[in-house]
Amino acid sequence: MSSPTVNPLREGIVNRLAPEPCTLVIFGATGDLTHRKLIPALYNLAAEGALPPSITIIGFARREKTTGEFRAEMEASVRKFSRTPVDEALWKNFASALIYHRSPFDDLSGYESLARAMEAADQTRGTGGNRLYYLAVAPDQFPVILSRLRESGLSQAPKGSWARVIVEKPFGTDLRTAQELNRLVGEVFAEKDTFRIDHFLGKETAQNIMVLRFANSIFESLWNSKHISNVQITAAEPLGIEGRAGYYDNSGAMRDMVQNHLLQLLTLTAMEPPTSLSADAIRDEKVKVLRSLRPLRGDDVFRHVVRAQYTAGLIAGEPVTGYRDAEGVARNSHTESYVALQVNIDNWRWAGVPFFIRTAKRMPKGGTEIAITFKSVPRVLFNKSGQGLDENVLVIRIQPDEGVSLRMSSKMPGSRLRIEPVKMDFHYGTSFGKATPEAYERLLLDAMSGDATLFARCDEVEEAWTFVDGIEDAWKTRSDDLAFYTAGSWGPVEADELAARHGVTWRRM
Amino acid sequence: MALGIPVPIGSIERELGRLWKESGESKSRASLINLAIYSEKPDALETNSLIIQSIAGEHAMRALLIQADPTAVGNSAEAWINMHCYLRGPHGGEVCSEQISFLLAGQSARTLQSVVFSHLDSDLPLILWWQADFYPPLDEKIWRGVDRLLFDSSHWSHPREQFQVISGIAESRTILCDLNWARSLPIRQALAGIFDIPGTLPELQSITTLQLDHAHGHRTTALLLLGWLADRLGWRLIMASEQPQFQDAGGSLITVTLQEAGETCINRILLISRNASFELRRESGSDLYVTTVRGKEIPTASRMVRAPREATREVLLTELARGGRHPLFLPSVRAVEALWE
Repeated sequence: MSSPTVNPLREGIVNRLAPEPCTLVIFGATGDLTHRKLIPALYNLAAEGALPPSITIIGFARREKTTGEFRAEMEASVRKFSRTPVDEALWKNFASALIYHRSPFDDLSGYESLARAMEAADQTRGTGGNRLYYLAVAPDQFPVILSRLRESGLSQAPKGSWARVIVEKPFGTDLRTAQELNRLVGEVFAEKDTFRIDHFLGKETAQNIMVLRFANSIFESLWNSKHISNVQITAAEPLGIEGRAGYYDNSGAMRDMVQNHLLQLLTLTAMEPPTSLSADAIRDEKVKVLRSLRPLRGDDVFRHVVRAQYTAGLIAGEPVTGYRDAEGVARNSHTESYVALQVNIDNWRWAGVPFFIRTAKRMPKGGTEIAITFKSVPRVLFNKSGQGLDENVLVIRIQPDEGVSLRMSSKMPGSRLRIEPVKMDFHYGTSFGKATPEAYERLLLDAMSGDATLFARCDEVEEAWTFVDGIEDAWKTRSDDLAFYTAGSWGPVEADELAARHGVTWRRM
Repeated sequence: MALGIPVPIGSIERELGRLWKESGESKSRASLINLAIYSEKPDALETNSLIIQSIAGEHAMRALLIQADPTAVGNSAEAWINMHCYLRGPHGGEVCSEQISFLLAGQSARTLQSVVFSHLDSDLPLILWWQADFYPPLDEKIWRGVDRLLFDSSHWSHPREQFQVISGIAESRTILCDLNWARSLPIRQALAGIFDIPGTLPELQSITTLQLDHAHGHRTTALLLLGWLADRLGWRLIMASEQPQFQDAGGSLITVTLQEAGETCINRILLISRNASFELRRESGSDLYVTTVRGKEIPTASRMVRAPREATREVLLTELARGGRHPLFLPSVRAVEALWE
């Protein structure tokens, strides 16, 4: 009788690919991401029995530290950041899988000793030769780590097993650096083994966009230029740059938010139905949207894009300083903390429908949402004057207070005909009391299972940079277009004018 | 009183409307399901109201509680309405589930369709938790509109007979949901996890011994687990006795011991194969399952995963969170058909 290759006891228990046993190596194990997100996510997965039983987690970093010290630090982090309380026995069991490996990132001998540690884990813990490398480091460290992984042979999995890499954003700073990074990663890992993480895609509500569109017959038939007047995608936050001037002042809102998170939301909103739910079928459709984006170059940029910086103002009643007064920011910085774009998708479905994208810091409140505004009803019956009725608006709230709402017109009670907008509102938190898992939990499991659906493919990243580079290049030619807005306001007047040119006003969140 | 305000059955919806009006604007109604619970036990309304109160925070619903005495002389029908509210959301508003309770006696208890099901929240799924025995023949009218039928086979004194009665429902669109099957889910998950360890999978084909320790009153849970293993691994029952014997696909014998031990429903499962042993254990009072693998050529591995509480609330939440059909349930029942009492 032949040996089974699939665990027959798994059938019917979970409807997802099972994560496979592996050694997870976290480069940058002493960093903020590891403390706040990765280890708490892994602990919660372990507590729920969702992690492969023999997983081994090796923290790779430069600082001198013992495994005991590493475990103690991680325990403190999990106690602080985990979404579930820490159970002593469970932590002890989980911590036994944590190993600290000290080495400079450029020292080949450190990778050779890592190889020995992983082989030992294969023998003693049964990790099966599978390797998952998580680059939780600054992008300037990617090249050296990838090179050493290749030189030490660690990027090549033993026969019958796999080696994968998770890359954190930013995936480059422009098209050229993204291509260079993709080339570098591609020389070391196959595309199917490369997982570019965008934590927005791990959020339940981002995943629900496809369900909302393709599992409900009432929406998809209306989801086109015949019925939709405009789409607004907004990501606002009240926070400033919070000590990240070194990164942010070189990046700006366009690179920090639009190139990745917001264009990802745009693609999920605008894509055609994929032929299947496979990773590539979905990503094929997302890439088509990016390719259909009408390029913005030269003077077009100044007609379609507004960039701005916040000045001193009030947030929640507290005074805050302006962007240029933040520590580490150049006094003459032209980096945008606000960006608003009007983009067009040149395909049959979306011809003539303006898409508006807006993201900013120091807004009055935080939130990410997609608002789809439908066309007005014909100027007959209740809309004879063409002014009396509000359009239907479908809002998908990504965060916080995740949910979906639909604005529609309704007759007010009374003998007179008076029509007012009413809102049908679905709140995840109201209907589903259960806490949703952190995005990183889902994404880590997916990477261990080899499911790349919620990760960006290299061509997605490059197409997004192609679009963004056109804007950045135009910005380099001028500086007089930089607008200003008071912290705590909803942005500069120039952005209002941009929307008004299309007969649109920005949504009040 | 947990049941709330007594109302005439004919004006339940109107009284609910009045209740909402009086409760002010800070409360909002939420409902994803209709959960109807039918029981013939004397204190069922109070007991089930507490269960609804404990789960409404996670599953917004309209709850319909029915305490029936179909054998009563005379005929009576009483109703109460209530709301279970929870603080929720960033602005701290209250989210409320509605509860309607019915106390029915005599002929009224036999007219669920008109008395109770006329108060469903329309267009939402109906989940009916049947806490009584099933009496043949089943009333088609009741089951036709039920999306999911919940029951708990651990409470049955004659499981063989009960499974036969409900087998007809399995052919319909109604999904059978045994809370006893849901109760075994975390155990099945933990047990399945053991065989994700490299090198262990082939051992499933050479199991020789299975020992299942279960608490008093949980023999049916143990039998469902045994049925699941038999169905999944292709075992055929060849001797139905206190120590049943199975034969695997290769003709080898598997000896099974089911014994009462410990306090949690399943305390221990031990599988012995040709080259290894696999154990799942839950110590009394512990919130953890510990799984251990020992073998000649397999590294000894021990793992802990969180074990849920076995209270009715947790089992019900597990079931409500699952959704979908349970394709392995009936095959598991049938794999040990001759062992049901």
